[in-house]
Amino acid sequence: KNCVSGGPAPDENSSMSRVMCVSAAAGVLSSSVEQKIYVELNETVPCVRLLNATHQIGCQSSISGDTGVLHVLETESDLDWILSSGPHPPYMVIMETAFFNRSVMMRMKNSSRVAGVAVIVSKTGLADNFSPHTTCPNQNTGVYSASYGSDLANCNVTMWNPLGNGLSYEDFAFPVFALKDENQTQVIRKCYQDHNLRVNGSAPQYPLCAMQLFSHMHAATDTVTCMRRTDLQNRFSINPEVLCDPLSDFNVWTSTRPLNNSAKGHAANESVVIAATRLDGRSFFWEQAPSAEGTVSGIVTLLATIQALSPVTQEAPPPRNIFFSFFQGEAFDYIGSSKMVYDMERNDFVIDLNNVHSMLEIGQVGLRRGRSLWMHSDPRKLSLFSHPSVSQPLPPSSFQRFLRVRGIPGLVLADHNTSFNNRYYESLYDDAENLNVTYPPDLSPDEQLVYETDAAKSLAEVATLVARSLYIQAGGEKKNLNNITADPKIWFLHQHVSDCVRLLWFLGSGPPQFYIGLGPRIHGPVHSVTRFVQYILANLTGTVTNLTESQCQNPSEVNTENKDLFSYFWVSGPASVNNTGEPFCRSASVRLSKAVSPAFELLEYGSPNYSIIPQSRWKSIRARIFPMLTLGVGVAVLLLSLLVTYFISSKAELLFSSARETPATTY
Amino acid sequence: MNLERIPNEEKLGLSRRYYLGGFAFLPFLWLVNVLWFFREAFLKPTYTEQPQIKSYVKKSALGLIVWVAVLTTWITIFQHFRAQWGEVGDYLSFTIPLGTA
Repeated sequence: KNCVSGGPAPDENSSMSRVMCVSAAAGVLSSSVEQKIYVELNETVPCVRLLNATHQIGCQSSISGDTGVLHVLETESDLDWILSSGPHPPYMVIMETAFFNRSVMMRMKNSSRVAGVAVIVSKTGLADNFSPHTTCPNQNTGVYSASYGSDLANCNVTMWNPLGNGLSYEDFAFPVFALKDENQTQVIRKCYQDHNLRVNGSAPQYPLCAMQLFSHMHAATDTVTCMRRTDLQNRFSINPEVLCDPLSDFNVWTSTRPLNNSAKGHAANESVVIAATRLDGRSFFWEQAPSAEGTVSGIVTLLATIQALSPVTQEAPPPRNIFFSFFQGEAFDYIGSSKMVYDMERNDFVIDLNNVHSMLEIGQVGLRRGRSLWMHSDPRKLSLFSHPSVSQPLPPSSFQRFLRVRGIPGLVLADHNTSFNNRYYESLYDDAENLNVTYPPDLSPDEQLVYETDAAKSLAEVATLVARSLYIQAGGEKKNLNNITADPKIWFLHQHVSDCVRLLWFLGSGPPQFYIGLGPRIHGPVHSVTRFVQYILANLTGTVTNLTESQCQNPSEVNTENKDLFSYFWVSGPASVNNTGEPFCRSASVRLSKAVSPAFELLEYGSPNYSIIPQSRWKSIRARIFPMLTLGVGVAVLLLSLLVTYFISSKAELLFSSARETPATTY
Repeated sequence: MNLERIPNEEKLGLSRRYYLGGFAFLPFLWLVNVLWFFREAFLKPTYTEQPQIKSYVKKSALGLIVWVAVLTTWITIFQHFRAQWGEVGDYLSFTIPLGTA
């Protein structure tokens, strides 16, 4: 537009500028042509491929994306249209929430007319239960096997997750995306209604609205194959392609009495009671795991326990140490706990199994019926309570990994007696609503943070119980028990962040997602939730020091501080009326320990003893919609353009005869 | 190179070189020999060197057919069974397609 400006210029300059003008205009025009055709869908979440020893699970698209004509699946007749009677296969199915179940997805899987599925994630039409996990979680990597408790193995006695439909463990040959943004879903629906609707039972005419999904995964077949191919690529290829990465992140641990982090192996004169819970969850889609009842209930309870215990353990320390641990990756065959047990066995951890006195694990505790809480123990071992009335195995829990190696006495606390109370176990819908977290409607977000919901009070009760039990188990005196109570206001993990926590830069909008992932992330080397728990623990159990920033980062130079016993965090203070939020150094005995399956360190990729679940790599994941024209129109345009080109070239002298004489000067 | 303009002895020499060269695992030399000298060997009026050129072309054609048969068989088998061969298939492959077995 601004090319035809300015006065007359010398000849060379004007033709040069003319060339640049045309190419600039062409550049601008070409990008806007793409924007006129394609509408990019940004708020989508894919389902990715994971592998195990024998299978591939998850979803795969073609390398150049899968394209299909849009069709919204709202009724049974839509299903027939897609699978048998529609005239424009393959179809890209926009699936309403009510239809996202096993029977429909299996029919899609077996049909050749489905190019892909986009699931609308909403609460309207949500079934009473939906769990894409298996019915017997982690059945092959727990303690019950053919050689130990074979009658209790494979959920013979109790089916822990009876509502599980196993969708997360199926292999789909087409991409499945989740549409989380309502506005974007509206755009898609509008495109469908404008072009693809059936009029009086007859098929819609071209141009039709189509969608293209890209989620090509590199990995295939199983873990052994994938790691072998990655190895071959790394050794022999000029441009190595990595095909898959093991799931890895960090466990978070702390203890009431600091442990020397540089002394590995057996810790002298230490008898430790372990209090554990899990830190992760999963769902059918990648990086989505709100996991409220499955994970957050346990995390919050353990955090409240730690907060309740910290004053008493300072004033009247019990004889035994209490070791708190948050295990990452438990959804995928106990990645974090198996790694910690493995390190303990090899004397590569601050304590070893001889130091462990007993263990208490907090399972899913958010959906208690009334005031009941259940304690699960292994019927084969002498438990803390000597009257087991029912011979029922332990539910899936990190404690099982400890039992595999050593017969430690222990308990798992849960809100369920037999099967889970959680009807949305390891799914997208296990969120705050599943836990019945409701607020009075007129509260501001800051007021909501300190409001004590019923869920918070219930978890605080559990936390008080756990704290007092741990204190007694650690040999503390009963007279101090009344001072141990948990504060219901600790329930803020589900909300948008408060000022203090907002300074931890990673948490965006929306509830945190607890999928383990691959370690290095956009905002840092550690998963945001792991960092979150680490800093909250530092806040709850640490002490303020007056070190400067450089001293905080190199505490070994300061002789009053001990880098082996504590870790040092440079944090910003809370911003309030009389406090400007100055940063300071906090020391706490909170540490991270690597959580990656031992099988990847031992290079035993087919190992039945450890988790061998890597996640595939991919190049690009995106989705877009566009209007689709028939082949005939494309051919017609081609012929027309050929005709025009021929015509112009034959009349070239006539059309372009007004050329200037070429100047004698060179450029 | 235009074969019209070179003397017959040179044509014979060329054809012989291509024939002999093809034995060094170079079947494309035989293919070129057949295609290039076909007219010389079978369609031109007879001259002294023609019977020898004809024999070289025929032998090159034979060698070419053998190579095509062997390569086609091996490529078919490899493409069909590579996925099933697992580890052996991966070690035999130069590039392995991403995302499929």
